[in-house]
Amino acid sequence: MLNWIESRTGFVSMAKEFLTEDIPGGASYWYVFGSATLFAMIVQITTGIFLTFFYAPSAATAWESTRAIYLNPWTHTLLSIHYWGSSAMIALVFLHLLQVLIFGAYKSPRELQWIVGVLLLLVTLVLGLTGYLLPWDMDAYFASQVSLNIAGLPPGGAILQLIAQGGPVMGTNTINRFFGLHVWLMPAVLVLLVCAHLAIFRHNGSAGPVVDDPRKLKPGRFWPDQMFMDGAVSFFVFVIILALASFAPPFLDQKADPTNAAFVPYPAWYFLFLFGLLNFVPWLFGHIPFLASQANAPWVEMLAAIVVPTIGLIIVLLLPWLDRSTTRSFASRGTVLWSTFIVIVAIVGLTIYAQLGIQSKEAAGPPSMSEEQILAAPAQAATTTSASGGASAAAAAGAKVFSQNCTSCHGTNGQGQPAVAPPLAGNPFVTGDPKAVITVVENGLHGQTIMGQTYGAPMPAWKGTLSKSDLAAVITYIRGGLGSNKASAVTESQIK
Amino acid sequence: MSKQAAAGSPEGAARKIYSAYDDPGTPEEISRRSFMANATLAIGGIVGLALAIPIVGSLVPAGSSSKGTWSPLTADELTSLQAATAKPVKLEFQLKSQDSYLPEQSSGEYVWGIKVPSSAKFLAARTDVPKSGTLPYSDGTYTVVTMNFVILSPICPHLGCRPLWNDSANKFQCPCHGSQFDIDGEHVAGPAPRGMDPLPFKEQSGVANIMWIRYESGIPNRVIISYQS
Repeated sequence: MLNWIESRTGFVSMAKEFLTEDIPGGASYWYVFGSATLFAMIVQITTGIFLTFFYAPSAATAWESTRAIYLNPWTHTLLSIHYWGSSAMIALVFLHLLQVLIFGAYKSPRELQWIVGVLLLLVTLVLGLTGYLLPWDMDAYFASQVSLNIAGLPPGGAILQLIAQGGPVMGTNTINRFFGLHVWLMPAVLVLLVCAHLAIFRHNGSAGPVVDDPRKLKPGRFWPDQMFMDGAVSFFVFVIILALASFAPPFLDQKADPTNAAFVPYPAWYFLFLFGLLNFVPWLFGHIPFLASQANAPWVEMLAAIVVPTIGLIIVLLLPWLDRSTTRSFASRGTVLWSTFIVIVAIVGLTIYAQLGIQSKEAAGPPSMSEEQILAAPAQAATTTSASGGASAAAAAGAKVFSQNCTSCHGTNGQGQPAVAPPLAGNPFVTGDPKAVITVVENGLHGQTIMGQTYGAPMPAWKGTLSKSDLAAVITYIRGGLGSNKASAVTESQIK
Repeated sequence: MSKQAAAGSPEGAARKIYSAYDDPGTPEEISRRSFMANATLAIGGIVGLALAIPIVGSLVPAGSSSKGTWSPLTADELTSLQAATAKPVKLEFQLKSQDSYLPEQSSGEYVWGIKVPSSAKFLAARTDVPKSGTLPYSDGTYTVVTMNFVILSPICPHLGCRPLWNDSANKFQCPCHGSQFDIDGEHVAGPAPRGMDPLPFKEQSGVANIMWIRYESGIPNRVIISYQS
């Protein structure tokens, strides 16, 4: 059978040729990161292809179709694997780069393999960035808004931003373009670059361990020795992806609402160090006496957001020419190894700095809705309301204020949450004296026993946060629009 | 096994005897081949170019509407603006917008309204607004202070988030990167390159109207990028 195929195609000898490769010094777990990244890429392509069966890229359907993906257990599993697979792939790309860096495997004659590898890292990051927008939820919207505006900062960036956005502002064209980039252009570029990366690898052979001439060492076999190790580690990665997908699936926030000011956007973890740099540089300048006045100047921002990352990238790209010594031994490469160590410490430090900053802002902000509430909410939870005017517009305004500010504790339909916040629907206090209701909404309440129950979450004071018209609208809504509540409306003049 | 079979076949025998590349050919053939090689590459280049032109052309978005539209505020909103005292008032309105091919829709939007003692005082407080007190827009120029009111865009001029009004600090504070603005919208702290953007405002037979303008973020100058949301 194999002979029959071989005589007509030559595939068998091609496969043999592909699997026959000497590994100087023998197979090692040090060499698995490239294969494990390739494995993660295959997982991403497989899950990604089938996610396109369910996703619809437009401002009117992106969030809605993503929500449907979340609601079906099968597609939710695919999405969760895709979400954690992206993290795994980026983590493995970085580990692969680090191993090559430490082993000095980028040195002549492998300079071009290194450059293709760095390009692969960039393409992977672009895939992460474009995929981040597609769910079109709050974080997707605001984080992408920030990154697109950063792209617009440098000279010539405005046209780049215009092309990436597909218009002067973010909208349905942005989703279409990011979708095209994410599912076609970037994966195609990625696969082509991987082929080039592997072809160059085979041309030069495996770099082997850190010795002066690895070719003198007794060689080991790629198949099955190294392939087994690659496979074992890839399987380990797969188990971790599955475990994370099962126990920590991604979170779908509310549909993108440009008017929701309280939302604190955050980038994906692998961009946190850049986000940290953006905040850290002005802070640093503010603490240097003769530079303090410049801390908020646009050029400082440009320095942190564009110049420093670009210089870092150029240094990485040119590394084979910056470190030209022919020896790969650790002892003689102290500068490179110590610089690598310092950069890693800086990246980890900036990541932690950014994460702590986001957490403190989130703690200060209003509580957000839980995923159950978001998924349970009807699909029109978007910003669109019909401007029919009059009473229905006022009712819609009240419902909107309620859904944006109150539902995270009191529930989508005002049903309350045991031990957290009391129900509003069917609550005689809410439908009773309007003055008392206004007082509670304006000034907050905590520790009161309500209908025989105690509740843990304090009612915040909304005076000052909500406008008078919002307060009147939302109180009217909870008194007359929730459940079977049918109490009188409250006018703006009743709000103190 | 397979090799023997191949060697026994007529194709295999022919391959053994003669390869087209063994004979360099006559000068005419060499010249013709070099023409054909170049022509093949040129055909590839022409096809590539012919595809690249419409692709690049398609990527540059068509310009947005250059005409601003006025959006009315409800009577309630105008009343609350007139009653504004020492803090900004959030004015909500329905903004009609068209997002590319999607049907035109009306969505909730808001701006900040502030009451200022006088145009001169406001212009003295705002270092980033021209001393003439006017800014250009689709109909020419608009005065920033109208009837002692100033309408501020809610979009942070830094990177497009939305600053929140903080009563106790008496400032607008942006949740994203910490830019701060005083009640006049003047930039007082953080990375924003300019103060909050004033929007056109007019009163017409008892109805207040505002025009929604998006300015380019991240630069000190006010460059209009869109009159739509």
